[in-house]
Amino acid sequence: MSFDPKAATRTPPKVVTFKVKRYDPTTGKEWWQEYKVETYRGMTVLDALLKIKEEIDHTIVLRYSCRMGVCGSCGMIINGMPRLACQTQIAEVATEANPVVTVEPLKNHPVVRDLLTDFTRFFEKHKKVKPYTIRKDIEEREKGDFEYEMTPEEHYNIYEYTLCISCGLCYSACPVVASTDRFLGPQALAYMWRYVADPRDEAWKERLELIDTDEGPFSCHYAASCSAVCPKMVDPAAAIQRLRSALLKYRLGMYKKEKIAQKKVVEVKPNPKPLPPEAQPVPGADPWKKNEEPVNIPIDELIA
Amino acid sequence: MVEKLKEKENRPGWIASINPWVLKIKNNPERVAFVLHRITGLLMALIIMAHIYVTGTPARVGWDAWAEEIAKAHGISAVTLYFFFFAGIAWYHGLNGIRLLLVEFFGVCIGKPEKPKPPYISPSLKACQRKLLYLVFILWAILWAATGYILFAS
Repeated sequence: MSFDPKAATRTPPKVVTFKVKRYDPTTGKEWWQEYKVETYRGMTVLDALLKIKEEIDHTIVLRYSCRMGVCGSCGMIINGMPRLACQTQIAEVATEANPVVTVEPLKNHPVVRDLLTDFTRFFEKHKKVKPYTIRKDIEEREKGDFEYEMTPEEHYNIYEYTLCISCGLCYSACPVVASTDRFLGPQALAYMWRYVADPRDEAWKERLELIDTDEGPFSCHYAASCSAVCPKMVDPAAAIQRLRSALLKYRLGMYKKEKIAQKKVVEVKPNPKPLPPEAQPVPGADPWKKNEEPVNIPIDELIA
Repeated sequence: MVEKLKEKENRPGWIASINPWVLKIKNNPERVAFVLHRITGLLMALIIMAHIYVTGTPARVGWDAWAEEIAKAHGISAVTLYFFFFAGIAWYHGLNGIRLLLVEFFGVCIGKPEKPKPPYISPSLKACQRKLLYLVFILWAILWAATGYILFAS
């Protein structure tokens, strides 16, 4: 998703009408509710929704956490487009001519209540692709006194896929997931490609065979909406095409992983660099000793 | 008493395959192309069935009546209009199919992974597949217009 860097410098309309899609799970009733919110420059949609919750309607339900586009909790459909509410400036979506912002829960995820969606199915699919490095030698994992060699180019090949915050926006935008629940979805498949392309992973054959079904990349039809809405520039659409191409070559016996990273034993430096003065432990305290007596801090004297 | 809560299934279903505006996603002409590809594919399946029925007409009405009806097919008539729309559908589906083969099966024109930098547009959306898509639309318009010229003007 492209960002307008000047959006935060613009002043949004003074009063913006928020049309929020509500859902009551006890009755199954669904309706649109309107709230008028006074805005300020730099206000995000999440700020406005929290203002509504604090000052106008306490019953509105939404999920959020970090408020800075890192946790991926506050995904919702804002003016028809899946976005992170904390990253969306009101000035970006509301204008003086049309000071209305519509907010709906993410599509393709079951709605628990109002704007809160259930990610269970999404994370089940995520789990299905085994999103972790697999090495054949199990002992390697136990020792941990080594690292895997990797060139900067190999790192950049997978770096953008490692930025995924699992916010579910791509899954919500996908028209294939909309029509079939079997498709693993862009997020899981992008993760899959990240490990197939990662030289540190050895289970590429197992991974490719795992997704050689109608759940896998062959169900994708390249609508590219996933890449268009991704707030972290992960590009799941390209990952799926690379995965499909690799799978096709693998089935024709033409695909082989170029390189498997070998372990490199890390030398433990005998004399590590001393800590800088500002990081030196408090005199009298030794953080490495577990059974050390706590330092006597003269609290009474300090308060006096 | 614990209230019974029911989650609402929020999937748009097959409508997302024929309506590109179920979501209003910016910078995403690929979605329009996807929807057009689905619609034209569906229409081609229907037309093929109609075509099978039509080609059986001489067996039902006789070759003379068939030849008489076909002789009327010039200028703007039901038959030429039918061929004109069929050509539009087939041109789009074929051209876009070639684009999809290149992009999906051979993984060409989707760009290279890159380090994120402003304005944070995914590499595949900036890659030459986008140019390929516009080329499909341009070629579609030209070839459809040319087919119309051949059908109606000749």
